[in-house]
Amino acid sequence: MSHATLAASALGLSRNEAGTRFPHVEDASALDELRLQVGDALQGSLWEHRWCPYDLDELSAVETAYLVEQGLMTPSFAGGSGAGRGFAVYDEGQASLEINGVDHIRLLGFRSGEGLDAVWSLLNQLDDRLETTVSYAFDARWGYLTSHPGRAGSGMRAYATLQVPALMLTGRLAGTALELIKQGLALAPLWGGAGGVIQVSNLMRQGRPESETIQQIQEISHGIVEKERSVRKMVLRENPVQARDHIGRALGVAQHAWTISFPEAVNVVSAAQVGLELGVADVPGLAAESAFRLMSRLQPAHIVMEHMDGKTGCLESPEVDQTRALVLREVFAGAGVRS
Amino acid sequence: MFAEEPPDWNLDLDGSVTCELCGEEPATMHLLRVVDGAVSHTHLCSGCAEGVAEQSTGLALVLAVPSVLRQLSKKAADEDGSSTPVHSDYEQPVCGVCGTTLTDLKESGMVGCVSCYQVFAEHLEASLEGDAEPVEHLGKMPLHGPESDALGREILRLRRMLRELVDCERFEEAASVRDRLMQLGQRVEGGQS
Repeated sequence: MSHATLAASALGLSRNEAGTRFPHVEDASALDELRLQVGDALQGSLWEHRWCPYDLDELSAVETAYLVEQGLMTPSFAGGSGAGRGFAVYDEGQASLEINGVDHIRLLGFRSGEGLDAVWSLLNQLDDRLETTVSYAFDARWGYLTSHPGRAGSGMRAYATLQVPALMLTGRLAGTALELIKQGLALAPLWGGAGGVIQVSNLMRQGRPESETIQQIQEISHGIVEKERSVRKMVLRENPVQARDHIGRALGVAQHAWTISFPEAVNVVSAAQVGLELGVADVPGLAAESAFRLMSRLQPAHIVMEHMDGKTGCLESPEVDQTRALVLREVFAGAGVRS
Repeated sequence: MFAEEPPDWNLDLDGSVTCELCGEEPATMHLLRVVDGAVSHTHLCSGCAEGVAEQSTGLALVLAVPSVLRQLSKKAADEDGSSTPVHSDYEQPVCGVCGTTLTDLKESGMVGCVSCYQVFAEHLEASLEGDAEPVEHLGKMPLHGPESDALGREILRLRRMLRELVDCERFEEAASVRDRLMQLGQRVEGGQS
């Protein structure tokens, strides 16, 4: 199992068409026209790889949730409504595009592990090509114009996902959050705080080039992860029995639970990853994938789409929790705590 | 995947901008606390927010985000006279292209079109007052924009870099940036775009 510095990297780029009013005030016909214009551009010969358009009306709730869980669609777009909305995925999930959400266009990119630079590089390239067919709303003072003035500027929001259960359990994140805010960054839980998984992202989009923002997020994230590692070691050193007990109980749940919710499963995997990194646990089934990757595929829509043939229409059904427990038992077979 | 967008992107419609703890200072922080999976929201001033953060123990996670748009709303309201009711005789700015009014902007935190940035420029600028950092756009720009804009922004970016390098006493690098600035300045004066 690798100990990636960052669990995941994600980036969103908001753009608007200069001659069209923003989606919340524009006429349905104009938004439909824009959707068709962008859709035509995606089907053109500008691209190295293929765009796969989706008909949002045809997507089931489970399929939509699956896109959100994969980092291909934002929760706000998934929960939104309105005219002229469109969606497409690039190169089998390397990037995606939301049309007529809060803004006319939002390019998205997501990678497991560290890779904000790579995601930015790809989105920047896609953005350049899209711009050859869409005239972007831009102002020298404000930068790229967006429906929320607070987001104008680069239009970019970059997210680094970190797994920091020790910092969260010991209450050390509060001070960090306040420090980040002074630097124009935000700290937010990804899954309601389960597993100590958080995201660091930029709130400021003005007065700073994209590359500087990305570098800032990466440097700060590395610092938080280093702090997490030292706190993990400190907890094991100062409370060896309690630490082993916590990790051992997590392994016990993972090996013997017959039904488990997503937040509890994430807590269990997170504790197991701490045990692995500290050298007090063995989990052979986690040798080939990161803890974050496992957490991701334990999400409700992942369970339904990948283990239940997408057959249930309900993401919170008992069968989903039972299937999740089955997946966990398989991964944690043969796991144990070292004495 | 992307977390739910932070609450600073949504204006509170109740108009409460006073710290919920001390009840005196303006609330400039939105603290989101997660305790055992339960989420609570509190609007605090920066002083109280730091106090809460220090007292946070156990499973409490305290998050803070600036209420940028709330500040925008408040400043705009202050400029108009904070006691002015929303529906008054006051003739407020209206965007002729999309019909967005200043009240709409205050309530939703959103503008309706490109023209709104000119119509509400004064109010939007007010929301950025007091920022220590320069707020000129320094990032990417459209490939098809006028090059003169690119030149102007490059000059702004280099000026900022020069200032920071001098502050850090990195004089050799500062001299190099200064030379580059002079070259660009000559291009502007020479009318090359």
